[in-house]
Amino acid sequence: MSIFSPLAIPASAGIGLRSPHIAEMLTRRPSAGWLEVHAENYMGDGAGVEALEKLRQIYPLSVHGVGLSLGSAGGLDRDHLERLRKVCERFQPDLVSEHLAWSVADGAYLNDLLPLRYDEEALAIVARNVETLQDTLKRRVLIENLSAYLAFTDSSMNEAEFLAALVERTGCGLLLDVNNVQVSAHNLQYDAKAFIDALPEEAIGEIHLAGHATNQVGSDTVLIDDHGSRVPPVVWALYQHAIDRLGPRPTLIEWDTDVPVLDVLLGEAMWADMLTASIMFTRKQAARREQTTNARAAPICLSVEGETTTSMPVLAAFAAARAARPSISLALRSLEEEFHAAA
Amino acid sequence: MLPLEHLQTIVARSVLAMEPTIAANLLTAGKADPLARLRIYQNNTRSSLTAVLMAVFPVTVRLVDERFFRYAASEFIRRHPPAESRLARYGAGFPRFLKSIDTLSDMPIVAETARLEWAIAEALDAVSLPPRSLGDCENIELGTSPDILVQPSLRLIVSHWSILSVWSAHQQGAAVDRHSAWARRAERVVLWRAGDSIRLVQLDRANFAFLHSLKHGLGLEHATGRALALDPAFDLVSALVRLFGNGLVTNVRAAANSHSNSWRQS
Repeated sequence: MSIFSPLAIPASAGIGLRSPHIAEMLTRRPSAGWLEVHAENYMGDGAGVEALEKLRQIYPLSVHGVGLSLGSAGGLDRDHLERLRKVCERFQPDLVSEHLAWSVADGAYLNDLLPLRYDEEALAIVARNVETLQDTLKRRVLIENLSAYLAFTDSSMNEAEFLAALVERTGCGLLLDVNNVQVSAHNLQYDAKAFIDALPEEAIGEIHLAGHATNQVGSDTVLIDDHGSRVPPVVWALYQHAIDRLGPRPTLIEWDTDVPVLDVLLGEAMWADMLTASIMFTRKQAARREQTTNARAAPICLSVEGETTTSMPVLAAFAAARAARPSISLALRSLEEEFHAAA
Repeated sequence: MLPLEHLQTIVARSVLAMEPTIAANLLTAGKADPLARLRIYQNNTRSSLTAVLMAVFPVTVRLVDERFFRYAASEFIRRHPPAESRLARYGAGFPRFLKSIDTLSDMPIVAETARLEWAIAEALDAVSLPPRSLGDCENIELGTSPDILVQPSLRLIVSHWSILSVWSAHQQGAAVDRHSAWARRAERVVLWRAGDSIRLVQLDRANFAFLHSLKHGLGLEHATGRALALDPAFDLVSALVRLFGNGLVTNVRAAANSHSNSWRQS
């Protein structure tokens, strides 16, 4: 087993490592901040696993689990937990995260993230599962809020209150997915900013940014969390609200379906860093103004508010223009064969 | 109020079924109809798992056309949802399921091709160990019947139908006539992972039996005996050269307790 140097994830933007980009990441080695992978994709022994060992030598790594089903009342799948433990042992990530959701029930894995009925019973169950996870991995794990299309009428608290209680009970951290907040807040009709403000800020160890789709079902406009497009202005605005409150945090650009060329992801990451830098600059200016009586310099403001913003960050636009060629089809793996007839 | 485990079971069954089975008053979705929102989860599960199956069985998709495949996948997902969250293992039962579909009974090539594609998927997920060369074995004490260990990704398939010919024809992107391309002709296929691709080879009976014995740890002597019994002209030297040349040998060692030794002792 390789020993990797412990590379700390910086409080800046990183990108999700997607299989169509692996070859380019290995040859080009762009400055991407850090990488995040889905744990389940690295539980086997195929070629992708070998590639990650090489990339781990260059980039700080975050391992993001999708299938552990921390919300399952039936408890954790011990085999899956062991597979996750082995992935963490093998790749030695700086951050590990999973979801506040369930995907396993009645002996079936649904391959989706379903919301909980938020109450004391669920809190006890999830806390127990999170404790088992943290004890097994011997580390703090970040728990992510989800995109919801449904809620349960008998919930006695909301998702933000539940997450805050979970942090208090287990000492876990939080992964704030700003896109998921926007999607859930729209679909279930609550205030997105209030959700973010209700979370314990010192627990938030990472932020996710992604795009979503809009579906019209009769009179119902529902946001669909497909992680298949650019981060839209409304999510950038929420991100700004979060950074304003929290300060710089590791921020991941997530793009899972219709994956674009690598430069587009890198452009989005650069935009996140520029937004954060501008917010911190504005803060410093405001602090200085409070101390001095004469404040003249106007800060460089990259304000992102409502409908007046440009919808495509400049750097991402350059990347898209350079990449204006037929879209690359997403292949889960490349497959070549040679056919030899036996003599 | 229902215990959480019971509630999750009801929701899971609703997500997998074509129609929601959960009582609408347990759910809420702002001003929207919660049962309509449940359909989003139903669609997500069905389409994401269908996408997994289409990625694992692309040639099978082309043999039956996409609409039929999606229907078959949808039925398979409903009756045999994944039992675990490791999706690399989802689809093992799909070839057998295809065999059970009435409308495919006059196209046995479909289920058989799916078997081949599943073996490919397994091989791609298997580890690729550093191979041993013939030169590596010069100074090893091999005994009378050495064990030869082969790559973990090695898979062997026998079919009564021309699965490799059909599969290869679809790789070249040629427009293949579904009905004339396949034949009732036994094919013995061996495949393994080399880097991030798969190598597939068709073998005659003797060479296939030789590899099959080695893969099951029966030792070189036993493997050679089986091959010769099927074909007295079996060329052991060529078989060994090909085996090592293809990087299929991961270790060679004297058998810990060879069959012939224990017979002499008793």
